[in-house]
Amino acid sequence: MPTVDIDTDELRELTGYEDKSDEQLKDDLFELGLEYEGETDEGELRFEFEPDRLDRLSVEGVARSLRYHYGDSRGVHVPSTNGAEWTIEVEDVPEERPYVTGAIVRGLDFSETAFDSLIQLQEKLHATMGRKRAKGAIGVHDLTMLKGEAAVEGSRKTIRYTGVDPDEARFVPLESDAEMTPAEVIEDHHIGKEYGHLVADMDRVPAIYDSIGLFSFPPVVNGRRTEVTTGSRDLFIEMTGTDQWTIDHMLNIVCYALAARGGTIEDVRVEYETAPDEYPPELIRPDFSTTEKTVAHDDIETTLGIDLGEDEVLDLLERSGLAGEPTNDGEAAYDVTIPPYRVDVRHPVDVIDDVGRAYGFNDLEPRYPDIGTIGGRHERSRLERAVRETLVGLGFQDLLNFHMTDDEQVSGRMNLGDADGVLGANEPVRIENPYSEDYTIARSWLLPSVMQVLENNTHRSYPQDLAEVGWVAHRDDEQNTRVAESRHVAAALARHEVSFEDGKARLQALVESFDAELETPPTEHPSFIPGRAAEIVVDGDAVGVIGEVHPGVLVEHDLELPVVAFEFDVEALR
Amino acid sequence: MKLPETQVAVLEAASANEPRTVESLSEDLDRKPESITRAAFELADEGLLDVSESIDESVSLTEEGRTYLEDGLPEVRLYEAAIDAGGDDDPVQMGQVIGASGLEGGAVDIALSNFARKGYGGIDSGEITANPDAGGDDPEATALESIAGGDADLVTEDTLDQLERRGLIERSERTVRSVQLTDEGVTALMEGVEVAEEVDRLTSEMLTSGEWRDVEFSEYNVAADAPEIEGGRHHPLRSMAERVKDVLVGMGFSEMQGPHADAEFWINDCLFMPQDHPARTHWDQFGLDVPPMQDLPEDVRERVEAAHREGVGEDGEGYHSPWGEDMARQIDLRGHTTSLSARYLSGIAEGDLEPPQRFFSIEKAYRNDEIDSTHLLEFFQIEGWVMADDLSVRDLMGTFTEFYEQFGITDLRFKPTYNPYTEPSFELFGEHPVTGEVVEIGNSGIFRPEMLEPLDVDCDVMAWGLALERLMMLVTGAEDIRDVHGTLVDLDYLRTEEVRY
Repeated sequence: MPTVDIDTDELRELTGYEDKSDEQLKDDLFELGLEYEGETDEGELRFEFEPDRLDRLSVEGVARSLRYHYGDSRGVHVPSTNGAEWTIEVEDVPEERPYVTGAIVRGLDFSETAFDSLIQLQEKLHATMGRKRAKGAIGVHDLTMLKGEAAVEGSRKTIRYTGVDPDEARFVPLESDAEMTPAEVIEDHHIGKEYGHLVADMDRVPAIYDSIGLFSFPPVVNGRRTEVTTGSRDLFIEMTGTDQWTIDHMLNIVCYALAARGGTIEDVRVEYETAPDEYPPELIRPDFSTTEKTVAHDDIETTLGIDLGEDEVLDLLERSGLAGEPTNDGEAAYDVTIPPYRVDVRHPVDVIDDVGRAYGFNDLEPRYPDIGTIGGRHERSRLERAVRETLVGLGFQDLLNFHMTDDEQVSGRMNLGDADGVLGANEPVRIENPYSEDYTIARSWLLPSVMQVLENNTHRSYPQDLAEVGWVAHRDDEQNTRVAESRHVAAALARHEVSFEDGKARLQALVESFDAELETPPTEHPSFIPGRAAEIVVDGDAVGVIGEVHPGVLVEHDLELPVVAFEFDVEALR
Repeated sequence: MKLPETQVAVLEAASANEPRTVESLSEDLDRKPESITRAAFELADEGLLDVSESIDESVSLTEEGRTYLEDGLPEVRLYEAAIDAGGDDDPVQMGQVIGASGLEGGAVDIALSNFARKGYGGIDSGEITANPDAGGDDPEATALESIAGGDADLVTEDTLDQLERRGLIERSERTVRSVQLTDEGVTALMEGVEVAEEVDRLTSEMLTSGEWRDVEFSEYNVAADAPEIEGGRHHPLRSMAERVKDVLVGMGFSEMQGPHADAEFWINDCLFMPQDHPARTHWDQFGLDVPPMQDLPEDVRERVEAAHREGVGEDGEGYHSPWGEDMARQIDLRGHTTSLSARYLSGIAEGDLEPPQRFFSIEKAYRNDEIDSTHLLEFFQIEGWVMADDLSVRDLMGTFTEFYEQFGITDLRFKPTYNPYTEPSFELFGEHPVTGEVVEIGNSGIFRPEMLEPLDVDCDVMAWGLALERLMMLVTGAEDIRDVHGTLVDLDYLRTEEVRY
């Protein structure tokens, strides 16, 4: 879950509540869904929250939410913007990263904390909406260091988003003293090493030029020339990415934060040489247009389970930072305006959720729904339970083992070798990204797990009669899921004196309890002593194996007494 | 006549002329009083003995009583010290007298209160006077001596009551049984009685031959320790699952089942999880090295894709994230059993469902999480949902309140939260049944239209989920889930863990 680090003095200043204690602020923030996690090394308070309200990734956004919560702000506020002086020309960009957006913010007077907050917001947006910069990356520049000389006298100032051969262009990246090519940055620069993989497969990498030269290599690193410091008063913000909506909304969140710091937003013109499908060739950014959702009054009442007056709904909407107006088409519904920094409102249900939060969900009275249904268990779950009950009645300890294991447990230690066509020897289902080498496949049979439990309990008293009814799987491309799943039952008798007969007696008792007929014709299975293994045939179908476990397998599991075991498919008892 | 050995001994020791107590027989015959009593009643049943009962009251000194017998009653000691100090003439300082009396601690209070009660003198303003005429034998002191000497009957009832109130004596009643031979008993003895054989084990031969009537069974030490036996038992986590299933079935829920290995389509896409969601792209789930799923229901696939791209409804908005069928068809071990809910809701599992419905499952889910005391790679997810027209948040709260109360978890709190597939969504918090602290106990919500409409469900569905292991740890106090689940389990735990139901 995302976190936000908050300097509470900043929060007090931005909300205007100078007297609120840290404890009070923590409680207020908890009500908004920000949970206190602890103090950072810098003495800021860290809060964790759900990844829907990404407009709260910095103290400015949190302060805005609190002001709505306190009732000091109501409805939707959109900062005004000045007309565009600058243009981003987009030509010849790498097709993998076609989109760009931008804005100018003027008149800032950064304190250390305000500056840190901007840096934090940038990082947090990269980590979340930006999907670690793959989907959207932010570049913030000191505007005074940019030279956007117009190509033609009298036209606007421009910068250019384009693509370059990674070995051709040169610039001095952040945290470096020397000129480097993008290829060298990827190779040698520590930020390049971290993000270079995002552009590694591109023939031409993203690059942003002004009339002096290359100043940004998105999404990897900015140039040092335009580096922002606390002394920077005017900023140029550009964002590139794989989705225009995403970078536009990341930009909105940043612009709202800087406006809260007293910055004046100025539009930037984006001119696409070849416009992406859904966009006109020329965009004016930031896009502070609001969106509208029509929300039916009935839907609010049904979802919350209470009656609400129209005024109440409008009030709750405003307290959520939204604005509502009754629709005038005869239906009891509202046109709800969503501010441009909200990235989580996809559907009217999201508006209803906001109304519920503003109302206070915990003020709703629980009621048990008056709905009649008839419950019942799945047949397979009843069968498994019946088999377990029978095994426990026969004196077996019921086990519950992991479904994930490794080849050595399932095959090598059970002496299966390259045996074919015996229980357990089916092609296992492999896990692409195992947690560790102990969990590389799904188990193809149960007995190896039972043997492991015996192995881990040699210090406990005998007899140890153990059984498991559980899931097994193997690779089967005929299946829609490519995996054949079934439930087996396995049981083992580990005793100082035990023989085949003891196992068969219990197997027989189990099988016959389910009104099925058992036959045990001799068979060979490498996990069992030759001549003391039999196929389990239930009602004429071969479904498993029983035998005295092979001494080699026993010794492998550090066992110093004989074990008789059986395993078969539970379906045979249906 | 053949009788068991003890009965023969009792019969022979009893007299026809005077009653004999069980105690005296027990002493004479060197057998436990219980055995004598049992034999006596058995003989009485045969008509050979009469058993008579009387009530015997006995009086004995308590430890405090014995102390006073030895040291003297505290008030007497105080009186004597007061006399010695000249308190019969003039008031003397109480501290001085107490010091001289050698009384300490609680005995001082006892002495002072009884001193006054018995008229030994007066106490005023920290000074003590002694009544010179009050000397002589204290009846309570005398009584203690009599009781100690076995002559409790010499003591008056009033004094006994007083001593009992002071906790110096204990009075108890017991039944004294005495036996006396009947005429039949005398006759039997005259004719001769023999000792019947004593046997260790009851055999089937004894039962069929009727020999059991003539034998006496040797007495066992029934209080002795027995050897430990290990019967078969259910696994504690499985028992917990069974209990939860009972509760849910009782609340009208039907059980779902379905594949553990499933396409991401059913695991994630149907749940409106964007394909670039961090949980889908950063190895939180276990991918399987198998070819992609062969068949997806085409109509559902189209609607799911449209929901991701464009949202649903007139004002709907999609995710602004890429969506591709390749990813949807990739097979994983399911990261949650909500994949089963998606399958059931879509109709692919059991055909189209008409509201109302309640479904649940308690099945394994797989997460590529860090293993620690509360996390394993595999866990049992309790998943449940209710489908009906017009469900509200209040219905959700009522249902879950009811469910958790079955496990002693009360005072449910609903913390609004975010899930991609539910809105509104709530984390559930409740009071720990043992420690009383507020703990997270599940996640819940009302399924979003972006999930339900592609599955062709046109009513409301509310759902919740939690890990069975978490519920078990709350209910049983288990501290490390690694001790419970898996091949490292200690058989001793499985054999001795308290059975819960």
